[in-house]
Amino acid sequence: MIDNFQFNFRNICKQYRRQTILLDISLTITNGDCFIITGENGAGKTTLMKILAGIEKPDSGSISVNAGAATSWRRCRSRLAQSMMYLHQQPYMLTGSLRRNLEYTAKLNPAIIDKPAAVDQVLHWARLEPFESQQAISLSGGQQQRVALARAKLRNPQVLMLDEPTANLDTDSRDRTLSMLRTFKENGTAVVISTHDPSFFADLGCRVLHLKNQVLTDKTIMPSAVADITSYLKLRGK
Amino acid sequence: MDVLIASTLDAFKLLFSGDTQIWEIVAISFRVSTLAILLAIPPALIIAFVLAYGNFFGRRFFISLFSTFLSIPAVVIGLTLFILLSRQGPMGDMGLLFTQSAMIMGQFLLSLPILVAMAHTSFQAADRRAWETARTLGANRLYAFFTVVYEIRFGLMAAMLAAYGRIISEVGASMMLGGNIAHYTRNIPTAIALETSKGNFAEGIALGAVLLFLAFVLNALLHHVQGKGSINS
Repeated sequence: MIDNFQFNFRNICKQYRRQTILLDISLTITNGDCFIITGENGAGKTTLMKILAGIEKPDSGSISVNAGAATSWRRCRSRLAQSMMYLHQQPYMLTGSLRRNLEYTAKLNPAIIDKPAAVDQVLHWARLEPFESQQAISLSGGQQQRVALARAKLRNPQVLMLDEPTANLDTDSRDRTLSMLRTFKENGTAVVISTHDPSFFADLGCRVLHLKNQVLTDKTIMPSAVADITSYLKLRGK
Repeated sequence: MDVLIASTLDAFKLLFSGDTQIWEIVAISFRVSTLAILLAIPPALIIAFVLAYGNFFGRRFFISLFSTFLSIPAVVIGLTLFILLSRQGPMGDMGLLFTQSAMIMGQFLLSLPILVAMAHTSFQAADRRAWETARTLGANRLYAFFTVVYEIRFGLMAAMLAAYGRIISEVGASMMLGGNIAHYTRNIPTAIALETSKGNFAEGIALGAVLLFLAFVLNALLHHVQGKGSINS
């Protein structure tokens, strides 16, 4: 199980070529949380997730971890990169076999003592055993998605972020992805999903956040009266 | 035409007769150029990476600067280092002029912009997700850097071969900085220049053949490695 944690993102802003993409976005992520981020293409969903994951730098905003003092994103970057894991819409497969991709991840996790055994276990979990010696790049989209989730399993992050995880997948692959995500959530991993199809993830019991006009609004609680997530979190005392 | 044929035949006789003088020249060439390229690769990769992935003021200026250095004549590098290393120069006390170390310095400076420019192109063409994936899988920046380097290794190998080909065949800087001293700083290109001026075409052709053979071996090696890296294999 994942230890208790809390990440507070406050007033995150981001501009691209003088055009505001994100404006005063605030979000609190704790263990076991599940968020679905919706929004039109180009609304800034990927940018937001990359900022949360410590990959992309925001223009302003602060972050506090486990109720500690608020610090800048830059100072918190390593902590974010350590705790969060971002999965691309089309996962990047490292050169080499599927097994090499998993071994690479296992090697980077010092908590894993018996690395070959952990890789075998994850291969079984993701039902990827028949393809272990195959070049990862030659796998199908659904199989690559499972490789990405298998790598996430080995990485064991506190927060798992998925960018359009079911886009371009067939029904079977989508169902498998959903069931794999369920195990992450049961393990206490917070899951943040960007998607155009929130209903597909309804089983996960996620809160639906909608990104529109640079602002993140919670559509789970107040579907009729769209309200800023910041206000909602304040009401909840977070 | 007869001179060319006769000289070529003599050249091959020289090469296979075990003429120690020829092979000594070849050995000096390889030693100097290999050391120079090995010294240039690490800084070149780091500079290229920073130029491709960094976001800092003056980035475009530095990219243009390194591209400009691509076309710098070897004699200009030779001249600059000659002034620095000569007795009156700021580095004159080191006594490096007309040594193999001076030749290595010259070849280092010649290969650096080639490596930087070509490696920068490779880094820029690389899928950005490689870096992001490595980082998100828990790699620190250094490890993620090596991951990206591995992902684009074929482009980088081509850069290294191009740079190696350039420095092992350059004559201007080696002549000025090494002084073409027999058994010490005489390498293949300076020896070819000398032998040609003396009318000893056979030796020049023999050494030229070694250079051509080297180019062939390096390119064959690159193609072999690239073939191994294809997803169909």
